[in-house]
Amino acid sequence: MTGVIDQIGGMLAQAGYPAPMSVLTLSHYLFVSAAMFTLGMVGFLTRRNLIIMFLCTEMMFQAAGIALIAASRFWLNHTGQSFVIFVLTVAAAEAAMALALVVLLFRKRESLSAEEWAEMKG
Amino acid sequence: MSPWILPILILLPLLGAALVVLSHAARARSIAFGITLGAAAMGVGALASFDWSQAGAFQGEVGVPWVPALGLSLSLGVDSIALLLVALTLLLGPICVAASATAITERVKTYYAWLLVLQAAMTGVFCARDLALFYVFFEFTLIPMYVLISLYGSTNRKRAATKFFLYTFTGSIIALAGLLYVVWVNASAPYGSGEWTFDIATLQATSVQMSAQQQGWVMLAMLLGFAVKVPLFPVHTWLPLAHTEAPTAGSVILAGVLLKLGTYGIYRFVLGLTPEGVMEHAHALAVLSIIGIVYAGLICWVQRDVKKLVAYSSVSHLGFCVLGMLALNSVGVAGSVMYMINHGLSTGALFLLIGMIYERYHTRDMEELGGLARKMPVWSTFMVFFAMASVGLPGLNGFVSEVMCLIGAFQDNTVAQEPFVGATPGRLGPWYAAVAGTGMIVAAMYLLYMLGKVVWGQLREPADHHPHPRLPTDLNAREIAILSPIALLCLAIGLFPAPMLRAIEQPVNDTVQWVWKHAPSAAQYAERDMQRASTSIARGEGDR
Amino acid sequence: MIERIAWLWPEIILFLATCVVMVLGVSPRLALRRQCAFVSGLALFLAAMVAIATGPMATSPWPQMVPFMKGTAGFVGLLTLLVLAGTVDREVDRDQELGRGFAALRANRAEFYAFFLFSMTGLMLCASADDLIWLFLALELTSLPTYVMVTISTRRSRSQEAGVKYFFLGALGAAIFLYGFSLLYMGTGSTDLGAISTQILAQAEGGAINDIAMAGLVLSLIGVSFKIAAVPMHFYTADVYQGAAASVSAMLAFVPKAAGFIAILLLVSTVGWQWGVADTAGVSLGAGHSLPEPVRLLLWVMAVFTMTVGNVLALLQRSIKRILAYSSIAHSGYMLVGVIAGPQGARFIDNGVAATLFYLLSYGLMNVGAFAVVASMEHKGEEADDLDALRGLCRTRPWLGWTMVICALSLLGFPFTLGFFAKVPLFTSGIAAGEYALVVILGINSAIAAFYYLRLAALPMLEEPVGEAPALTRVPARIVAGVLSAGAALGMVLVAGFFMERAARAAVPGLFDGTHASQSATDQIARSGERRADE
Repeated sequence: MTGVIDQIGGMLAQAGYPAPMSVLTLSHYLFVSAAMFTLGMVGFLTRRNLIIMFLCTEMMFQAAGIALIAASRFWLNHTGQSFVIFVLTVAAAEAAMALALVVLLFRKRESLSAEEWAEMKG
Repeated sequence: MSPWILPILILLPLLGAALVVLSHAARARSIAFGITLGAAAMGVGALASFDWSQAGAFQGEVGVPWVPALGLSLSLGVDSIALLLVALTLLLGPICVAASATAITERVKTYYAWLLVLQAAMTGVFCARDLALFYVFFEFTLIPMYVLISLYGSTNRKRAATKFFLYTFTGSIIALAGLLYVVWVNASAPYGSGEWTFDIATLQATSVQMSAQQQGWVMLAMLLGFAVKVPLFPVHTWLPLAHTEAPTAGSVILAGVLLKLGTYGIYRFVLGLTPEGVMEHAHALAVLSIIGIVYAGLICWVQRDVKKLVAYSSVSHLGFCVLGMLALNSVGVAGSVMYMINHGLSTGALFLLIGMIYERYHTRDMEELGGLARKMPVWSTFMVFFAMASVGLPGLNGFVSEVMCLIGAFQDNTVAQEPFVGATPGRLGPWYAAVAGTGMIVAAMYLLYMLGKVVWGQLREPADHHPHPRLPTDLNAREIAILSPIALLCLAIGLFPAPMLRAIEQPVNDTVQWVWKHAPSAAQYAERDMQRASTSIARGEGDR
Repeated sequence: MIERIAWLWPEIILFLATCVVMVLGVSPRLALRRQCAFVSGLALFLAAMVAIATGPMATSPWPQMVPFMKGTAGFVGLLTLLVLAGTVDREVDRDQELGRGFAALRANRAEFYAFFLFSMTGLMLCASADDLIWLFLALELTSLPTYVMVTISTRRSRSQEAGVKYFFLGALGAAIFLYGFSLLYMGTGSTDLGAISTQILAQAEGGAINDIAMAGLVLSLIGVSFKIAAVPMHFYTADVYQGAAASVSAMLAFVPKAAGFIAILLLVSTVGWQWGVADTAGVSLGAGHSLPEPVRLLLWVMAVFTMTVGNVLALLQRSIKRILAYSSIAHSGYMLVGVIAGPQGARFIDNGVAATLFYLLSYGLMNVGAFAVVASMEHKGEEADDLDALRGLCRTRPWLGWTMVICALSLLGFPFTLGFFAKVPLFTSGIAAGEYALVVILGINSAIAAFYYLRLAALPMLEEPVGEAPALTRVPARIVAGVLSAGAALGMVLVAGFFMERAARAAVPGLFDGTHASQSATDQIARSGERRADE
């Protein structure tokens, strides 16, 4: 399959066309994962809802997951893929903890805003 | 000299401190006095057993490896200069304890314990032959002094103590960086010994081979540490505050010994490790110390607080001391070393006298005190005597050293071509001596002015003055006994300076020759300076 | 495989003990439940001893560091445990006395010890990590339990606030370094640290290190800076340390920090320090160090800001815990100096990594003491956290007071204390690496630190006590921990050489076999000498 696509790409390139979008290279995956990571980071820094903030960190985790799988394919080994399994596990553990925390906090303050928790300053 | 003497001199006060802590408060003072007296007696023993014909060699040396991974060892040893400073420390020890008898009535155990620890640390600084050990002792003097000032000082004591600590700590941590650089050069550069060692002699041999630029930076770092302690002009502001707030014994030790740690550091390390750096920057430093001499002298003149006046006079006097050192010739350096001892004696005594007055009148304000000669003739006699010693009256100790410092500074380097043994050309010039000499006149002015107000004239006492419950109007036998040995020493050194000069001659000559030998560009400096002088003269003529 | 398990005995011991503790915790008998602390302590001691006995771990980039760090972790952990013991127990007991009944998050005291042991397991696993996956899991295992410990440490809402701040920023940090790890993998094709190192070496010799790998390393370092409380991820520190019980703060200031520094050392060793390897590739260099310039610059900026921010902000605080928190930031900055300097030579004194390791050990000891003092005092049922609580402590509570004085002076790096002997190698290694500016900044910062440490030392020693003496908590073990650590701050000076030798040995990279490494080390030294001679 890839061979065919490569052939087409090569022919188009010879004819002066830009490479078709159908050829997914490592950089495409890298771009997606970087975008997800950045969005997650920006979201974390700008949003004040605890659950959204947590989801943003989850998104950053998954961005890393995508990068890992893409790289795993690129290097033709399985390390990256097995890394992802572990990442998912850790993410699940973090999610459990986050939810426990959020529930506890909600019971205390009846709010999910991070602004509610600013007793200490300085 | 037995290798046991120096460790015992350091350990004895520490042991005494432990004893004081464990004993009953009522006994603290007698234990402290006994211990310091014992240490002083051992000091006499050390002076007696020192081989004065080999004054420049380090004697009584001991060395025990301490932290081999860092190359540290506990090595001690003294040459005649270090020994004399140790002797000064040991002399002031019992005097300080005796002087605190009536002044310190609360938290007595803490006081004497820290006083003893301080003495141990100061002795250690002068005895250390290992750079790290020197630094450890040097820094450790801070804590006892900090405690003494901030617990037993007068109203503003907290601020004074904190300022003292922070100034000195900041300076010395930069100095540490400089010293460690030398250690590293010794360990890594091809001309070093290749080992991590803090042995001062080894480091000296390596350090002099650094380039002039390297030496300049190292010297700057070291000076930051030592100049704060001395204190040199821009970084002197902690001193008057610390002096005024400290208890009498604290002031005596501060003036008598602690400031000498700075000058001793300059003598041992700035001259010893970075001869070329000193050669290069002597003029700038001399200008700083001359500013210190004149500026602090002028400040003294406008003081109302007697203690502050003496404190500022310390800044001024130590300016002379540093100036003599920077002259980089035998006369100047010898004068400077003598100045260390003399200033310790006379200024220490002045602080004692002021403390005695303060105990009786609870004020040090010149406007409130006056004409005390009528009421306290003995005190006044001592006061005039030590003020004269401080001014530099010929026949007393201050004169000898001050004049030697100025002669040293006077000598410029025009004689650089003529090699002569024992004496070397100076690095400064007549102008330096001339301007610094005005400091002597200023000193005479402010001290005589102070004497005129406090000792002579109309009798003035604070309005609410009550006689001290335990002290007579004039000095009692204890106080006279405290002051007399210092007075005798001042007189002896003033009249017969030769024995002491002979004692320090050899190490001073060694140091001066070391500096000139290892500043290969010294001759170039001489030439360059001459050229500069001639061009400026030429320019001056052109202007005309 | 079997070999690898043999290296992990300490972790296995800790994990088994964790299981035992959790089982003990559900026992209906109070006497049995009270054994949790003993079991934890015993396990830590055993783990540390086993780790020291096991010897170097061949697959790690720092084979000798593994036993050293595990031993350090075990013994400092023991001290920490002395402080930690009873943190939750007391609250639970009081609840039971008052008949408050069931408090969901505080029902079981065993969990607290179990979490602590988990965290210690994570720290030890970090030390033996030789793979990015392993490192990631170990770092997470170190920090996840601490989030819970912070939250449940006291019943005040401050602890929960601290917990939420700590958790969310921790998750952010974890996400950042995870992304960094994935990029590092993308750039090199392996998660094995040794293989990454070889790959990067090949890239460097071929011209330049892969940009993706470099970006990954930079992101990893930024993410891990959360663990060591370094700029730019230091914001949480003061709030978390203040909100958590002092005993937990004592742990937070050491365990994650140690894990973070191990991670940084492991990561950075993949791109540099190979005895001047980068030198030949022309990727770096200044005088004598061999980190790629971007990494060096990043660490440099981090170190400078971390020290300065920590020290300056510490000046403004009145809460002891906040002061210690900011000072903990500053100490991370100091230790980064050692990381930047790197292993310049095989000797302790010019080996920055050895300096960092030794500093970590001594910082751990001194820091526990300072926090133990805070943890031991009570004021109306709350922790006595204000500076005023220290006034005259040497007279009212001599043991606590002198502990504070000694620990503060030692943290300041005052001569005669352990702190001084820990700081000197940082200076020397910085000088040896030619980082003069950094050394001067380190010196200036040490001087700034004098302001607030002096306050911590002077208040107990010199001030008059205000009112009556602060009440003590009912946990005498904390005072014991404090006294032990103060004793270590003074006593270890006598045997410092022993630990320095160990640290020096621990800081020899193992990417090459020993002979090669020492050979290159001497070459390096000779080279730097020549360079100096040329100047």
